Amino acid sequence: MTLLKFVNGLKLRTKFGIPISVLLVTSIVVITSYLIDRQADGYRRELETSGETMIAILANNAESGVIFESTYELDEILQLLSQFEVVEYACITNKEDIILSEIGQALKGYEQTKPLYHDASDDEGHHDFFIRNEYGQEFIELSNPIVTRIQNLGRENLGITGGLDNSFKQSYVTEEIGRIKLVLNLETVNQSIAESRRTAILIAVVVLLITIIMLTFFVRFITKPVKMLVDITDQVSRGDLTQKVELDQNDEIGHLARTFNRMIESLKHSRDEIEEYNRNLEQKIVERTLELEEIQAQLVQSEKLSAIGQLAAGVAHELNNPLGGILGYAQFALEKLSKSQEAEEVVRDKEKYIRYLTDIEVQARRCKTIVQNLLRFSRSSKTTDFSDVDINQVIGDTITFVEHQLHMNQIQLKMELHKNLPTIQGDTGQLQQVLTNLILNAMHASPPDTEIQVISRFSPALGEFGGTVEILIIDQGSGISHENVKKIFEPFFTTKQVGKGTGLGLSVSYGIVKDHGGEIKVESKPGEGSTFIVILPVQKPQPASDNVSNELQTKN
Amino acid sequence: MEKKSILIVDDEEVIRDFLFEVLCDDYQISTATDGDEAIEQIKVRSFDLIITDLKMPRVSGEEVVKFAQETTPKSKVIVISGYSSLYSVSQSVNSGASAFLSKPFSIKELLQAIDNAATE
Repeated sequence: MTLLKFVNGLKLRTKFGIPISVLLVTSIVVITSYLIDRQADGYRRELETSGETMIAILANNAESGVIFESTYELDEILQLLSQFEVVEYACITNKEDIILSEIGQALKGYEQTKPLYHDASDDEGHHDFFIRNEYGQEFIELSNPIVTRIQNLGRENLGITGGLDNSFKQSYVTEEIGRIKLVLNLETVNQSIAESRRTAILIAVVVLLITIIMLTFFVRFITKPVKMLVDITDQVSRGDLTQKVELDQNDEIGHLARTFNRMIESLKHSRDEIEEYNRNLEQKIVERTLELEEIQAQLVQSEKLSAIGQLAAGVAHELNNPLGGILGYAQFALEKLSKSQEAEEVVRDKEKYIRYLTDIEVQARRCKTIVQNLLRFSRSSKTTDFSDVDINQVIGDTITFVEHQLHMNQIQLKMELHKNLPTIQGDTGQLQQVLTNLILNAMHASPPDTEIQVISRFSPALGEFGGTVEILIIDQGSGISHENVKKIFEPFFTTKQVGKGTGLGLSVSYGIVKDHGGEIKVESKPGEGSTFIVILPVQKPQPASDNVSNELQTKN
Repeated sequence: MEKKSILIVDDEEVIRDFLFEVLCDDYQISTATDGDEAIEQIKVRSFDLIITDLKMPRVSGEEVVKFAQETTPKSKVIVISGYSSLYSVSQSVNSGASAFLSKPFSIKELLQAIDNAATE
């Protein structure tokens, strides 16, 4: 596995270069060695054959010289050999192994290492040996018997000289009268072999170099476009689709490059399409969001109007009291004035009339305030219309409208308002809507003769926590079951009878409080009542007043 | 002949003042700002007529009517309210009220109701 990993980690050049070079060099070495060996073998064999032929002729010619022990004649014969460089040494011995004639230097201290191609000692007494002297020089030693034919005395009487005709063999006996020995130097042959070897090595090296150069070019020819492809792929992968592979080749790589360019082109096309879709999608999302916001605003508004409908009784009551005063005083004044007979009477009652009119004015202003408050509540508003809001004021305004409802349902209202509540950033109308919704919900859940508490309190800033204003609405009503607690803020969830509630009140309230960066929490135990807590952040923290009313803080 | 006594019960000052202004010439008027104060006064003396609002802090008008019917059954009661539902009217009548007036009411309506209560 590690080897595979190693090989995979190599560069293309190395991956191809090394095995091809090794294969090439091995092939050259093996083939050349074989050829050179064959050549050397051939040279030696040729030399040996020539030597054998030569020595056989000489042995034949030396017959009479040996018989007569004529050194002169034998020297002449041997002298023929001296013209050959290859002849290192030659000698002719007689029967008693005494040298009759010799040329060159006899070898000393050598060993006959191995017989040569022809049998070292055949029937006719040839001896061929390969020898190496102490200096490592190589030689071939050939030796041949010098024979004479003697007439078979038991048969015919013929002359001692004659042909080699087989027909005479039966009539003569062959007798060895001496030996001729020839030592041939292999140096020349070996030199020529060594030269061949050097040439072969040179060729191998040259071939290897050429191979490496060609491989380098070839690999570069492949890797360069591949690197180009890799670079461009890299750029494409980073999203740059303007790139193009510039390769003017008609081979497979050129084909690959053209395919690659087509791929980039189609990628670019796809991306453009996707971007186009995205733009459309964004446009659609913006449109839908606007629609949704519109619908949400409408929803908030409908819920608000629904709450106002429920508040009608309270509003009527609030308005009817001052209207009662206005109507009453106006009628009373009119009646008095119309009954007055004399101007003095009117002057006498001037103080009274002023009081009536003042009361009428005061009560009319009160009506105006109530109507303004109602309008502020009913006005549809955007979340951006935030301003400083006094939560206690919001609670007071809300209570004005719901008080009568509570009274009608025989529910007591208890308020504990924090005296030094900081203002928060918000929308009065929206917050009033939330409170109205929560109080009316509490009222609907409450049986007669129970109590609803409305508490405002302030949690001062602590570290990163910027401080909050909290409104608690606590009832002693039926409470909310565990599974319903999770659902009460879902739109259209209602436990009220059909037609009694839209099921949107709490979800709208939740949305409003969220818009104010706040939260609504519910704590409820079925049968014991519920506590809704509206937590609103104080965005601009005010210095926490020292006289924070602890009794109010600890109330719950 | 001694003037008849009327107890006016309303947490709204303007209503109390107006009623006082209209009736003070012909009647002996007492006022109470809420149910509690009214009951205290009823305990002390009986009134010929009690004109009471329904919705008041602490003790409501219904309780005043109930208390008056129990302690001074001869007292006539007129209920005035800023918001009238069928329920609140029937409740008032059932608990012994002679008349029910919705605010804002005219002086004529008021005097008519007082007359009716007296002749009952």
